[in-house]
Amino acid sequence: MSNTPTDKLKSRPGTDVPPLVEMRGIVKRFGDNIVLRDINFDIRPGEVHALLGGNGAGKSTLMKILMGVHRADRGEILLSGQPVAAADVGAAQQLGVAMIFQELSLLPNLTVAENIMFGREPRRVGFRIDRGAVNRMAREHLAAYGFSIPVTKLVESLPFAQRQVVEIVRAASFGARVLIMDEPTSALTSREEEKLFELMRSLTAQDIGIVYISHRMSEIMQVADRITVLRDGRTNQPIPVAEAELDKISEQMSGSAGPVDPHPVLTETPVAHVRSPADRPALQVGGLETARTLKTIDLTIMPGEIVGIAGLVGSGRSTLCKAIAGLLRDAKGQIEIGGQSVRAGQSHKVLGRGLGFVPEDRRLEGLVLDHRLDANVALPNLHRLGVGGQLGLVQRSQMSALFREAIQGLALVARGPDQYAAELSGGNQQKVVVGKWLASQPKVLILDEPTSGVDVRAKADMRAALQRAVRETGLAILLVNSELDEMLALCHRVLIMERGRLTQTAPSGIGVVELQALLLHSKDASLAEDALHG
Amino acid sequence: MGDAAAPGASMGRQILQILRDNVTFIVFGLVTIYFILTAPNFATLGTAEAVLRITAIVSIMAVGMTFVIIAAEIDLSVGSMASLSGMIGALLLQGGLSWEVAVVLTLLFGIAVGAISGLLVTILRIPSFLVTLGMLSVLSGVALTITDTRPVPIISNEFANFLWEGTVVNIPAPIVWTFGAAVAGFYVLHLTPLGKRVFATGGNAVAARFSGVRTGQIKLLAFMLSGFTASFAGLMLAARSTAGNPSLGSGLELDVIAAVIIGGTSLFGGRGGIIGSVIGAIFIGVVGFGLLVLGFSTSIQEIIKGAIIIGAVAVARR
Repeated sequence: MSNTPTDKLKSRPGTDVPPLVEMRGIVKRFGDNIVLRDINFDIRPGEVHALLGGNGAGKSTLMKILMGVHRADRGEILLSGQPVAAADVGAAQQLGVAMIFQELSLLPNLTVAENIMFGREPRRVGFRIDRGAVNRMAREHLAAYGFSIPVTKLVESLPFAQRQVVEIVRAASFGARVLIMDEPTSALTSREEEKLFELMRSLTAQDIGIVYISHRMSEIMQVADRITVLRDGRTNQPIPVAEAELDKISEQMSGSAGPVDPHPVLTETPVAHVRSPADRPALQVGGLETARTLKTIDLTIMPGEIVGIAGLVGSGRSTLCKAIAGLLRDAKGQIEIGGQSVRAGQSHKVLGRGLGFVPEDRRLEGLVLDHRLDANVALPNLHRLGVGGQLGLVQRSQMSALFREAIQGLALVARGPDQYAAELSGGNQQKVVVGKWLASQPKVLILDEPTSGVDVRAKADMRAALQRAVRETGLAILLVNSELDEMLALCHRVLIMERGRLTQTAPSGIGVVELQALLLHSKDASLAEDALHG
Repeated sequence: MGDAAAPGASMGRQILQILRDNVTFIVFGLVTIYFILTAPNFATLGTAEAVLRITAIVSIMAVGMTFVIIAAEIDLSVGSMASLSGMIGALLLQGGLSWEVAVVLTLLFGIAVGAISGLLVTILRIPSFLVTLGMLSVLSGVALTITDTRPVPIISNEFANFLWEGTVVNIPAPIVWTFGAAVAGFYVLHLTPLGKRVFATGGNAVAARFSGVRTGQIKLLAFMLSGFTASFAGLMLAARSTAGNPSLGSGLELDVIAAVIIGGTSLFGGRGGIIGSVIGAIFIGVVGFGLLVLGFSTSIQEIIKGAIIIGAVAVARR
């Protein structure tokens, strides 16, 4: 068990070594939705294999199949050349596949040593756990990878980076041969990242294979040996990192070379519907910042304008949306919506009164799932429904009328105003969220990932409804969307966000591939800058 | 939107759904019928009046409690709040204040205590279970200390008439008050923006906040309302026994919460209603009265009541 890293003789695996794990022709569908169409993926001993792909491309589904959480509909998995059926997580662990989750799976109320040795504690005579031996063995496991974390500390008292180390060391000490790391650096500082990469190198030196899921190209170039791009449920031939070019990868990720999109995307950049130059801005943000994420954001949106924010995961897009809506108490800076200033933590003064906010998670943040559709639509509009304030009478007929008004032109598939929100499909739920805000006749509408997990037709319906509102009422829209083609089809202007800053405006007429490349590049640029100043 | 296909089948399903949604009321009806058939002289107007009188206190407190529970909180302090309010009302009367002033001041006290609980829950973010459990202890302690556990007699006839002994067109005051509380509670909870916000706060506090609802303020109002109704019920208790007694209301919180839950309000918030709570309170009263008439001792009543509460909640769960 207590294996020390052997000498760092970098013996890069040749193609003749059989892969630790090989997945062939994997197909997976959920209902009518085909998530994985034809996946070929393998992990060789001692390599870091990066897996790239946009949101919803199927990365986590693929990894869950490898872990045995989901069962593939077709295809086979080979372990060291032997076909296996990974039926459940337990089996996958026995086969030596372990996943490091973003939400770590350690027990926070136990010590580091207890976590590492969990389930295999050395015993004294009888049933008593040998505490001394537990601590000593845990310390040895950590030392084998060059870490000296105090093993008697509670895990909950450790900083995130150290917890991650504990989790990785625990997995390795269980004899894992394949480690899956999902965005492992998203919560780390640059210094901690270096530590992690070092740990990864000593893992690969022991012929452990690592699947590395990340959006950050610079890291991938630094640590990976091969890169596989996942797009529309298919994989390409893995690219050795030495031959990888950013442009080529961006092209593969955005899929312009792949099958034609089933839905039409506007080819020309939409032209802003600005009424007159004398118009006051619909939204004006100056020097907005939060303690952790946002750094001096300045932003102006005119009535009838749709502005997109593009950025990688963790760049602070959602935080920006919430800060503008006044939902973050620690936000500082100037925000004006239609000339009315928004104070931090005073969201009730603007939400439904000129501002609409479609949050990222419609089920947790957008809807009261247990309530009827008309009640959900009425929620931000109640002050307009009751005559006489909080205690005015709200009639059911008013609520149904508002519901009908809200869903007009959204092609909502629902039984009626009395259906419960939980019963609708994801796309229809999202339509209700969009509809409830459109019904409040806002001056500014913020949409955070409005199309994630929404089918093509629903996307088109919502796009049409939004464009109509912009055209007819001069609505200003701030759109955050990881689906860049959606964003480019809708936005008059696209701003790039990196590490809490709006760094540049994408040139007008930019294509999806170029925008993707810009995002990946800019990340590298900002990293380099951080390295210089940090 | 219309379900054109298989009207017969969907109608059957609808009826089944309605039966499922109202299962506690059906059980209530069956239990009542059982008493009418078996208990001697149960089916009289006198019985109905007696039951409604008995349950008035719990019904009125249940109105306030319904707001708190639908907002996904709990108020355990209502029983001792009622005791203390009865004491305060009696002491104010003893001190020579007019009965109207005594009533108003006592109710303001109830609202203020509710506000303190509400602020502790919303600002310090202490779970309401703990805040009101502590408040239960504090209030009953104060009620006992104030007069060194002695009851305070009430000699004001107007006070007793207003709250308990009097009638309005031959309807006894407690029944009038129950009806008034139920109507007012129904209006506010089901027909106003405030009520809709209470539901949204309990149904999904994050979504409510993201829709511009001040969830903290809504919870605060719910606690104030619960303090108000508990305080009012305490005054009624004092009027009934023509004395403020420091232990009059002790244990009532369990009946009140049981009434609300039997009435179909979800303990997790977001679902429920006033009518259900009042019917739940009456249900508890009917069971108690019926078992009494059948000759069961109060100890056995407690056992049966507990079983019915658990059963009602079990079947009402979706």
